[in-house]
Amino acid sequence: MFSETTPSGSVVLELVGVSVEVGDVEVLHEVDLTIRSGELHVLFGRNGSGKSSLLAAVMGLHPYRITSGQIRLFGESLEDVTVSERARRGIGMAFQDPPELEGVSVDALANALEASDRLSDAETALHLDGFRDRPVNVGFSGGEKKRWEICKLFLRRPSLLLLDEPEGGVDLEHAAVIGDAIALLLEPGATELDAAPAGLVVSHTGSILDRLPAHIGHLLVDGRLVHSGDAGELFDHIRRGGYRAPA
Amino acid sequence: MTATAATPSTSHLDETQKALLANVGFIDDGRSATGVLVDQRVAETSSVHPDVEVLPIKDALLRYDWLQDLMFRLIDPDENEAVRQATELVDDPVGCFVYVKEGAQIEEPIQLFSVIETPQARQFTHNITVIESGASVDIVSGAAVPERVHAGHHLSLDECYVREGASVRMVSIERWGQRMESESWSRTRIGAGATVSNTTIQLARIARQRSNSITWLAEGARNNEQMITVAPPDTVREADSEIILEGAGAVSETTARMVAAGGVIVNRSTLVGAAPETTGFLGCDGLKLGDVGEITSVPALRALDDDAQLSHEASVGKIGAEKLDYVMATGLDEEAARDLIVQGFLELDEQALPPSVAKAVTDTVRAAKSGSL
Repeated sequence: MFSETTPSGSVVLELVGVSVEVGDVEVLHEVDLTIRSGELHVLFGRNGSGKSSLLAAVMGLHPYRITSGQIRLFGESLEDVTVSERARRGIGMAFQDPPELEGVSVDALANALEASDRLSDAETALHLDGFRDRPVNVGFSGGEKKRWEICKLFLRRPSLLLLDEPEGGVDLEHAAVIGDAIALLLEPGATELDAAPAGLVVSHTGSILDRLPAHIGHLLVDGRLVHSGDAGELFDHIRRGGYRAPA
Repeated sequence: MTATAATPSTSHLDETQKALLANVGFIDDGRSATGVLVDQRVAETSSVHPDVEVLPIKDALLRYDWLQDLMFRLIDPDENEAVRQATELVDDPVGCFVYVKEGAQIEEPIQLFSVIETPQARQFTHNITVIESGASVDIVSGAAVPERVHAGHHLSLDECYVREGASVRMVSIERWGQRMESESWSRTRIGAGATVSNTTIQLARIARQRSNSITWLAEGARNNEQMITVAPPDTVREADSEIILEGAGAVSETTARMVAAGGVIVNRSTLVGAAPETTGFLGCDGLKLGDVGEITSVPALRALDDDAQLSHEASVGKIGAEKLDYVMATGLDEEAARDLIVQGFLELDEQALPPSVAKAVTDTVRAAKSGSL
């Protein structure tokens, strides 16, 4: 099972003084963050605090532009590395609001990734049986989209999971399904690497903590990482006092 | 009016021709009737179903007196300069007469194809189709040229009568030569309560392709059209269509998916609501790949009756960065991600295809899309 104690594996992701702009607006300011193999980190913060921007910057999505600092995956800089290559090097992302791909079936995407054999088990695990012929995200309910975003990650089994509100708006039953599936993705041996995968989860409500034993929590305020510490303690602090850094 | 009996095969198709036409939907058996034009001659007309007839138009005009009254009823030989010149130049038109008897339920499709084998040939065809009341049939049609033929000119006139309560599903795949020109003028009259579903697939490179169609719908008739069009480099495709809802309760839905992959697409569609309780929709979406090429999409709605409900949706643009990022984030490189998105954009609605040919058509189209893009 996925470990509830803080492991101390090798460094998977490192952000050193990372600032990010969208257009002319700086949305992240000099963020430092280190995630090790086997760790699950949670990003807390108000709407617009920069949580999704941080994940998007790590994935290399448009229109996020690194203006200073460095992002390293397994010790190697991701500067000028394409989104595709980042995925192939082990990053997998569940989008908060994924786009609809008209005419592109779930099966076609899995085939393109040569991962059809992995799709069946994932579909079952995420209660998405019968979705193969449906165009990706077209006509999916909110909950179906969330489950598909996790299901999609099984096709490549990433070493680093970036999960943007994976349980947001999902009913309790399916939130449990999603939590169990993420736990499977985080299990040691889930990837081709010896080391256990790592994860970085964005959460408004912290309800993911009911499903997954997160190790470290971070608080983002106006694009700055103002606190990092025990995830449970930070969540308790936020529940009591709002999105302010603990003293 | 009546026509009778199955027509015996007059096949002169060789294996090379059959293989060529297989790329656009031809099969040797499993068809109720076949008509194939090669250059300026009818190479094959045959029927294996007693309720279906396919004849050379010249023979049909001699056999059925009433056919004279249907020819040039929907299209005027003086309608425009192109048609006038073609009809004047060729006094011995080549084409097929297709007839399905009243109430006939035909399971195996009719197939009709045009081939140009002679480089720089000028092919003029005139087809007339009559689907009698209550009949149900699928029609697969297409056009092809051998690889060695690059240049030539094809002009077709098509007059189609779908009688009261009949049901027709049509699918057409055209693969002309790279430096060819093709013009088609088609007119379809859909009778009361009849249903027509029409799928047009244009993917291959061609110097210039021009199509002009008018469809009239009588009371309670239904028309569903889907068109997927790709313009590779050095290709110009120009389509003008008009759908006239002239009978109360007539319904029409048209979806056009266009991809300019270096070439030019011009699509002008007009939907006319001329009777009460008519409903019509025009959907025109275009994707422009790269800096070269263009798409012009002009959907127009004309309401002549205050109880006509007409609407349209049109969009033209490049592949959104959000979609591209999303697919690339699965690990596909940019080219593969673009290809997957475009393939999806051009995906056919299989529900509108004749079931007996749906898989073959979608497989053919998928292979052709990969090549053309």
